[in-house]
Amino acid sequence: MNRLLAALPRKSYQRLLSSLAPVELRFGEVLHEAGEPIRDVYFPSRSLVSLLTLVEGHLALEVGMVGREGMVGIALALGADVSPVRALVQGSGPALKMSAARFRAELKANPPLQRELNRYVHALISQISQTAGCNRFHVVEARLARWLLMTRDRVRSGQFRMTHDFLSHMLGVRRVGVTEAASALQRRKLIEYRRGNIRILDDRGLEAACCSCYQVVKDMRGAA
Amino acid sequence: MLATRSESNSPKANHLLAALPEDSYRALQPFLEPLQLPLGMVVYESGAAQGYVYFPTSSIVSLLYVLADGASAEIAVTGNEGLVGIALFMGGETTPSRAVVQSAGHGYRLRAAVLKKAFEAGGDLQHLLLRYTQALITQMTQTAVCNRHHAVDQQLCRWLLLSLDRLSGNELVMTQELIANMLGVRREGVTEAAGKLQAEGLIRYSRGRITVLDRRQLEARVCECYAVVKKEYDRLLP
Repeated sequence: MNRLLAALPRKSYQRLLSSLAPVELRFGEVLHEAGEPIRDVYFPSRSLVSLLTLVEGHLALEVGMVGREGMVGIALALGADVSPVRALVQGSGPALKMSAARFRAELKANPPLQRELNRYVHALISQISQTAGCNRFHVVEARLARWLLMTRDRVRSGQFRMTHDFLSHMLGVRRVGVTEAASALQRRKLIEYRRGNIRILDDRGLEAACCSCYQVVKDMRGAA
Repeated sequence: MLATRSESNSPKANHLLAALPEDSYRALQPFLEPLQLPLGMVVYESGAAQGYVYFPTSSIVSLLYVLADGASAEIAVTGNEGLVGIALFMGGETTPSRAVVQSAGHGYRLRAAVLKKAFEAGGDLQHLLLRYTQALITQMTQTAVCNRHHAVDQQLCRWLLLSLDRLSGNELVMTQELIANMLGVRREGVTEAAGKLQAEGLIRYSRGRITVLDRRQLEARVCECYAVVKKEYDRLLP
């Protein structure tokens, strides 16, 4: 269950239900393209969506992650109808979907929804800030470890699909940088990485290998 | 540090306050306290509880992320187009970043509780502040990607242009150390980047003062990040 929806007062949640349709999000699917209108919003339950900012049309950087704690398409709740980021499915799984038009109408008629979304925006801004700092100062290996743990927590599985290209976008480094970092974690027997599949072998060890940002973001989520 | 009110520095020098419907503005006006924001003043500390939001009029406030190990770098700049402290009406009690005055000047502060009440009443004020929040998020994410992928001299150009847009005039009072903190690079990196721009005749840098000599060239030189942020602000805000 999506936590943002779960936090709504019962009445407010029930009036939303009829506008929400269950969908299955698939790895690699682009839900929103940067600079294009938002057609639908998504409330992930067991899926995970990555928010990417792009430059020069191809260099990307993950600026945030949305799982069951949030909503994809938050710009719409803030009064913008164009997505400033690319929303890319990173972990396949179910979500609830609502059309942009319905969402806008609901927002007007359902103040608790706006309030819950605003709290989520605050948490998301904290995550964006932290991710920015981490990207700026921490080494690739520690960032990769953080990213793997954040993914694990959100898809609730220590095994997931992942390509070099994908990781290179997430971490904002070249493919060779990803290879080096992944090999280093593999040599330390913390993960196994084969044919686009990652398996976490040693959770404790991986937690020790990542930067402090993992814990900071985790605490923020707990507070949110 | 309270300052006196003057015509040239009325609250409406802040674009958000100026854009409020007249009745919303009048309701807030008695609570707006003018103040001076001196260079380097820490407006907010990351994670600390806050009682006020700030509306810069002739100053610039930098939002910095601070990591557990103390390293910090700028995530956004706010001047007369915005306000500092969105967390306080979006539902957080503490701010996730440190806010430091980056260019000295004036501004107004307002008790967070007063703004929160007005915000929760909905209407145009709420819509305006939400759109501002979206614009700020875009600035944050673009700054993050710029930091990751662009050269220091391009980042410096972006930073200069975003700052100038938020001030009148073409001069910034700045130390290399502060710029280095903003960009999250070492001082030598800033010296080199500023030296490059100076050699090309785009800026003059002496004794903590940066004067932009050729704004056109600076715009030609900057990475796309500046335009992305500017476009978003122009689109979403009055």
